[in-house]
Amino acid sequence: MFSTTGSYSVVARSILNGALLAFEEVNATSKNIELEPVVVNPSGDLARYRSLSLELLGSGIRQVVGCYTSSSRKEVIPCFEKFDGLLWYPSHYEGFESSDNVIYTGAAPNQHVLPLVDYLASRVGSRAFCIGSNYIWAWENNRIFREALIARGGTVLAERYLSMGDTEVDQVIAAIIEQRPDFVFNNLIGTSAYAFFRAFRAACRARGIDQAAEIPVASCTLSEPELPEIGPDAIDGHLSSSVYFSSLNSPENAAFINAYAQSFPDGPASSADAESSYIAVKLLAAALSQAGSDDARRVRAAVADQRLRAPQGEVRIDRQTFHAWLTPRIGRSSVNGQFEVLLESREPIAPDPYLVQSSPRFASAMRSPLLKVV
Amino acid sequence: MSSRLLQNFKGGRAIVVTRRGGWESTLETTLAKLGVSTEYPEIIDGRAQIDVTSLQADRDILFVDGDLEGAVAIEVHPASRLPPVPVIGLVGVEAPSRLKALVNLGATSFLRKPVHGGAVYTSLFMGINQFLLRAEMSERLQDLEERRRGRRAVIRAVVLLMQHGGLDEEGAYSQLRRESMRARQNMELYCEEFLSKRAKPPDTSGRTTGIMLQGGNKQAI
Repeated sequence: MFSTTGSYSVVARSILNGALLAFEEVNATSKNIELEPVVVNPSGDLARYRSLSLELLGSGIRQVVGCYTSSSRKEVIPCFEKFDGLLWYPSHYEGFESSDNVIYTGAAPNQHVLPLVDYLASRVGSRAFCIGSNYIWAWENNRIFREALIARGGTVLAERYLSMGDTEVDQVIAAIIEQRPDFVFNNLIGTSAYAFFRAFRAACRARGIDQAAEIPVASCTLSEPELPEIGPDAIDGHLSSSVYFSSLNSPENAAFINAYAQSFPDGPASSADAESSYIAVKLLAAALSQAGSDDARRVRAAVADQRLRAPQGEVRIDRQTFHAWLTPRIGRSSVNGQFEVLLESREPIAPDPYLVQSSPRFASAMRSPLLKVV
Repeated sequence: MSSRLLQNFKGGRAIVVTRRGGWESTLETTLAKLGVSTEYPEIIDGRAQIDVTSLQADRDILFVDGDLEGAVAIEVHPASRLPPVPVIGLVGVEAPSRLKALVNLGATSFLRKPVHGGAVYTSLFMGINQFLLRAEMSERLQDLEERRRGRRAVIRAVVLLMQHGGLDEEGAYSQLRRESMRARQNMELYCEEFLSKRAKPPDTSGRTTGIMLQGGNKQAI
C-alpha cells in the first residue's frame, strides 16, 4: 500500500519496487511458502489509506507492507489494531510509537537524526535553520533535532513549515539567507523538497554564495531517486543521514542493486526506503515460514530476533520494540546521483524509538529570560 | 514560570496495585519499552503491601486499580493535595465513587482497563508532569503565602525609616530593596530582620494575630 501517485510518489514507487523485488526472490527460492502481493495506491490521500486498509483487512489479508508518511501510518494503525493485522512499515520515522500491530523496519530517530546532529555539530557548525513539511514527521524530527543540538551548545535560529506539496519556497529562502545559519536542517518531503533544493541553490548562486560549502542542507529523508527530481543544477553537496545508500560496497548490496536494476529498468532508483521494504518482505517471509500461519500474533512472535544479511549489513528485529537494528551512515550527494558515504557506524545499533537511552531526562526548557525586573 | 517537562522515564519503577488477571501484561511490556520496570505489591487483607517510606518521587510511579477499594493508604499533602509519588489511576468500572477515590489519592492521570499499549506513554507523561507541575505550583504558592505574611514587616520597616531616617516613602522603600538585594534575601525576610535588630519590646499582640491569620487563611484555601 504505497502512494505511487501524488506529491511523494517518487519515493513511494521506489519503496514499492523494493517490496516487489523481495516478493519475486522469495517466490523463486522458498520451498514452503508462496506470497501473492496485492498492490493498492492511496494517492497520498489519508482517507484512502484508511478505506483501503479496511478493504484489505476485510478481504482476509492480514499482512500489509505499506505507508511512507507518518500521518498515513497513524491514520491506519487503528484499522490494524481492530482487525488484528500486521502493518510492515518500511520507512525511517520520528519514533515515539510502538503499536503491537506494526513491525518497523525503517530507522528510529536514534538511527537517523541523532547521528546527524553529532555530525553537524562536530564538523559543520552550531547555528541551524529548520524547515519541514507541515505534519508530524517534521514537527517531531525538528523537536528531537532542536533538543539534541541545544544540548550540544547549538542554537536553532528559526523553524518554518510548508504545506505538503507546497512549492512556494521563496519566503523561506529569503529568511534563510538573511539569517545566514551554518546549515539548514530540512524535513520537507517530496515535491516541496525538490523545489526548495533548486531554488535555494539558485538564490545562493545569484548572491555569490557557494551554497553546498557555506550553507549546506542536511536531511534525514533525501535518497537517490529524488536527486534526479532536484535536477542537475542542484543535485550535489547535500548531506543525508540514512541507514542505506546504494553506493555501499558489499556483495549483498551489489546483488540487490543488480536485481533491482534488472527488474525496474525504468526506475525510480533504489533508495533507503526501497531497501527497507525489501527487508520487510524478506522478514515477513521468514516469519510466515517459521510461524506456519499468517495470524498476526504468531507472525509477530516469529519475527522477533529474526536476522537478515541485508544490503546495508546485518539487520535484526528487536524483540522488545519490534523495530530494527540498523547501521547509521552520513552521505553527501554527488553529481552522479549517488551519495558518497562520509561516515558510518561500525556495527548495527539498537533501535530506541522513545529515545530512552539517548535523550535527556527533561525536555529543554522554553526560552525565558534568566533575569527579570521585579 | 519555566517548568521543565520530564520526557524520558528511564530508570523509573512502576508499582502496580491490582489483582493480576493477564490484562496487565500490555502495561508491563509497554512500560519496559519506556525504560520503566514494573512491580506488583502483594495484596493482603485488601491492603497493598507498600513501604511508603521507601517511595522516591523521582523514581517511582504508583498505578492504582480503582476497582480495588481502599487497597492503598497513602497520605496526601494537606496543602498541595499531592501524594508522595505520582499516582496514575487504572479505571475499570467508570463509577463516580471510584473516580473520586482515585482523585482523593492525588491521581494526576488515568488509564482505562484493559490497557491499550498506545495509551501508556500519554498517561505516564501526563501523570508525572502534572505531578511535577502541581508540586512546583504548590511550592510557589507556599512561597507567596510566606511573603504575603511578611508584607507587614515591609510596611513597618518603611514607616520606621521614614520616621527616623528622614526619607520619603519611595526613598525608604528603595533603600530597603537595595539592602535586601545586597544581602541576597527577599525583601520580607530582610525587613523582618531589620526590624528585629532595631526593635526594643517585641510586639507580641501583632505576632499572635499574624499566626492566627495564617492558620485561618490556609483553611479557607
